[in-house]
Amino acid sequence: MASAGASGASVTELASKLYEHCLNNYPPDQLFYQQDLLGLGIVPKSDLALLLRCTQSLVDQKLFRLLQGKNDRLAWKIISREDAEKLQNLSPDESLVYNVIHSTGRNGIWVRAIGTRTGLHKSILDRCLKSLEGKNYIKSVHNVKFPSRKMYMLAGLAPSEDVTGGAWFTDGVLDENFINTVAGYIEYTVSRKSWVEVPSADAHRTKRIKTSDGSVSVKQEAGQKTFIPFPAGYRGYPTVSMLTDAVNESGITPVRLGEESITQLLDMLCYDGKLVALNSGEMYKSVKNPEAVKQSQARKPAGEDKGIDDRLVTNGMTEAPCGTCPVFKLCAPGGAVSPESCEYFDPWLEKALGF
Amino acid sequence: MTSQYAGELCTLLVEDNFGELFARIFSTLNRYDRLSFSRLKFYSRLSNAQLRHGLAAMIQQHLVYHYTSYDDGITYYEPNMQSAYYLVRSGKILELIEHRLGKYAATVMSTIMFLGHAQVGYLETLPALRPSNSDVNRASEERGGIHETEEYHGEEARQETEEHRETEGRPNGLNSDYTSSERPALLHPTLKALAGHGYILRVRDAQFQSYADNALDAERTIKSRPDIKALKGKKLDEAVTEGTLELLKERLDGDLTRGLMFNGVPRGAKRRHTTGATEASNKKARVDYAAVDEDEDGGEENEWSDDDFGEDTIPMESGITVRINYEKLDVALRNRRFLELAERDSSPVTAEVYESLLRRIEYQTAKCRDTTEIPREGEEGEHYSVPVPLRAVVEDVDLFLDLAGSVGPMEVSQPINRRGKRPLEETTNGAAHDGTNGGQSDGNRTYEVDQHLCLLAQPPYSLTSKRMVSGLITWTVEFRHLARKLRHLELERIIEARYGDVALRVVRVLHDKGKLDEKRLQEISLLPFKDLRQVLASMQTGGFVDLQEVPRDALRQPSKTIFLWFYDPDRVGNSVLEDTYKAMSRCLQRLRFERSRLKEFLEKTERSDVKGNEERYLSEAELTLLGQWRAKEALLLGEVARLDEMVAVIRDY
Repeated sequence: MASAGASGASVTELASKLYEHCLNNYPPDQLFYQQDLLGLGIVPKSDLALLLRCTQSLVDQKLFRLLQGKNDRLAWKIISREDAEKLQNLSPDESLVYNVIHSTGRNGIWVRAIGTRTGLHKSILDRCLKSLEGKNYIKSVHNVKFPSRKMYMLAGLAPSEDVTGGAWFTDGVLDENFINTVAGYIEYTVSRKSWVEVPSADAHRTKRIKTSDGSVSVKQEAGQKTFIPFPAGYRGYPTVSMLTDAVNESGITPVRLGEESITQLLDMLCYDGKLVALNSGEMYKSVKNPEAVKQSQARKPAGEDKGIDDRLVTNGMTEAPCGTCPVFKLCAPGGAVSPESCEYFDPWLEKALGF
Repeated sequence: MTSQYAGELCTLLVEDNFGELFARIFSTLNRYDRLSFSRLKFYSRLSNAQLRHGLAAMIQQHLVYHYTSYDDGITYYEPNMQSAYYLVRSGKILELIEHRLGKYAATVMSTIMFLGHAQVGYLETLPALRPSNSDVNRASEERGGIHETEEYHGEEARQETEEHRETEGRPNGLNSDYTSSERPALLHPTLKALAGHGYILRVRDAQFQSYADNALDAERTIKSRPDIKALKGKKLDEAVTEGTLELLKERLDGDLTRGLMFNGVPRGAKRRHTTGATEASNKKARVDYAAVDEDEDGGEENEWSDDDFGEDTIPMESGITVRINYEKLDVALRNRRFLELAERDSSPVTAEVYESLLRRIEYQTAKCRDTTEIPREGEEGEHYSVPVPLRAVVEDVDLFLDLAGSVGPMEVSQPINRRGKRPLEETTNGAAHDGTNGGQSDGNRTYEVDQHLCLLAQPPYSLTSKRMVSGLITWTVEFRHLARKLRHLELERIIEARYGDVALRVVRVLHDKGKLDEKRLQEISLLPFKDLRQVLASMQTGGFVDLQEVPRDALRQPSKTIFLWFYDPDRVGNSVLEDTYKAMSRCLQRLRFERSRLKEFLEKTERSDVKGNEERYLSEAELTLLGQWRAKEALLLGEVARLDEMVAVIRDY
């Protein structure tokens, strides 16, 4: 009995020694295998049974977390003292749940998955989650991919990009305003680097030359800046990394945006027909010159009535009343809806002719 | 082409242009397709005389195909939808001709159009074509009665080109030639010019039969040849197909450009610059090409001189019967669309360089594509136009065009106001011939033109592409790719107008990536779920995008099914085409209705004493009404012409 008591005392002692050593000499996420712990030379004679008793006591005190490493080997990680204190106060069920949530890290875990992994009854699980949340150990997060699922993760962690959906989401919802601001900024930045501004003196010169051969350039009105394109094969168009830096330095974004997020946005702008990717995405060139970009961006908040130049040029179908007619499919000569009884033609004619 | 709405539209066009008898026959044929005379008579309920006269005239107008069968000796009649449809494009064609070759050429063209086909000898006798300045105008009025449609089309198209011309600016050389001169024998050079450009062609017997009949006929002829009969199996089939195609080509070929082309340019096609500088470059051209075309006769010394027409006195054979070559005109109209595309994003100078290239290519392109149907998306091969040597383009570009001023420097560090003296002045060919124009060297100019063409070759449109042919830089245009681009643009315009720019983004993503599920689509298009779903749903209702279900298990539960959105431009294009036909006929029908509303008044204005003297006989209120009516008519017909442009893009290019 005495020997058992003595060994019990020495186990506690050894264990705390082991813990101190690990805490002081290794980073907090270090994974310890049996070999590593024996190699520390704290446990005398590399006594495996003694080591296991020590680690078990540490695990009981929540100072060590038991994990399964590679090839199903046992492994441990240290837990800081504050966390251990937290955990010691938890009921066994709560601690079980906490460990499961902890294991998923920044990805979070679905409530139902916790249930299947712990095997707890739903009401018990709910109580555990409630109390854990009440103690502010865990928090519920919103996952973009599964908006209807209730998910939890440790309170101290920031959700990963998979959960939030990347830089463009705020609280799981696509942040339209943010996207538009950054997109507008990028378009203007790219535009400034895609065109050469011709000084006014030169603009006059071109003007004179053009009129002398009979063609009048409509675009060059007085007071407007003139822009001319770079020659083909020009290498000075902005690249993704240049744009990423520019956006991050501009101060329009509260978080630092990665190149992937910017690429995503650039692709979107290409689909919008505002930018053109050159050399399969190596560089970007804008379609409109800076003045035009400024104008179209200034117009947007002012009102919804867009100018024609902002859209693709219209065609026959979009102009004709038939193109927008809701009952076009039913229309037939002599039918209930017919070209003779059509009520769209007259307003259309009046509008077009102005009488 | 044979669909309900196309048929309806063609019948309307025939009726508007040629009256009720034609319309009756045409609509009957349209409904029953191929009919013998007796059946046609039965269905159309016309008398023998009416029907015979009508059919004869319609054959003259190429509105009806006829074919006499070898087996039973019965003649069958079939509607020629294509040719009926081209009635709507006549205004645009005339406007193009006028722009290219002058007013008189347009008059000649419209006369041929009005007659369907005409013998050169007959054209000589027409008073309308006796050139004198006042006559030219009267001629167009004379045909006005029946060709109302055309006139108004022309008018609206003319308005369009007026803007066009502002950027274009340069008075067409031929134009001035014609209007200022009163040479007696203007008809023949004009016809020659038209023929040289390929705008008219010789009428062949086979053109009066439908393509299918011709093909069968040719096949029969080939099969009865003794050397073919000896063949068997696969070889026989191959020989027959090959022989048939050859024979068809031979029989249908009405090409008049032979002997009228020189170096790939129609004889007498106007050189665009008229200064002394031409001489210098011409000499060079001569040296280059002399070897190629030595078999041309010596009379072409004057080929490039300005008073070419005066010297070219050899008239067209008066026995030739000519008609309009719509296929070639489609090529010209298509090139104009490409040019418009270029004008949207490039400087006027670049567009002008592009025009020179396109013009060169047009001369050597007979039709828009080789296949009769537009191939499905993605199954279409690349099809490059004939390569045009860079030097040829350089020659055609106006010498006074400031080429350097509209392309930026290669390095941005260069002070901008030193533009014009660009840092990289590597002349492409070292030997710099001094042009007469302000000491700008030839090599430099070549390099600059090349730069402009390079600009056009860039994405998103890739309007040109560069090729090296035996060491020479040549430029081509990838027609199929561009035609596809035009089609997509038309569809995208409709989508943007109906569903907004968000929808446009979604469609472009889908088009680029293929089939996508909602989540992936959201990630790429960066749209909130709510907006995305809304826009997808409304587009699905409109038939622009569609949804594919991919079940993950045999039960096909919705919860275990993947839903993929896709956008099929072929399908959308076809349905839009039908809608366009329908919209066109609705416009025409509405016009007719509007006309019937004002029937009595219009009859008054068309009285022979009132017509031409409107101011004298009509009251003020009536004059305003007339003005309003004319504007209304012009608007509706203009709209039809605009819709036709869409049809051209979706169906013909």
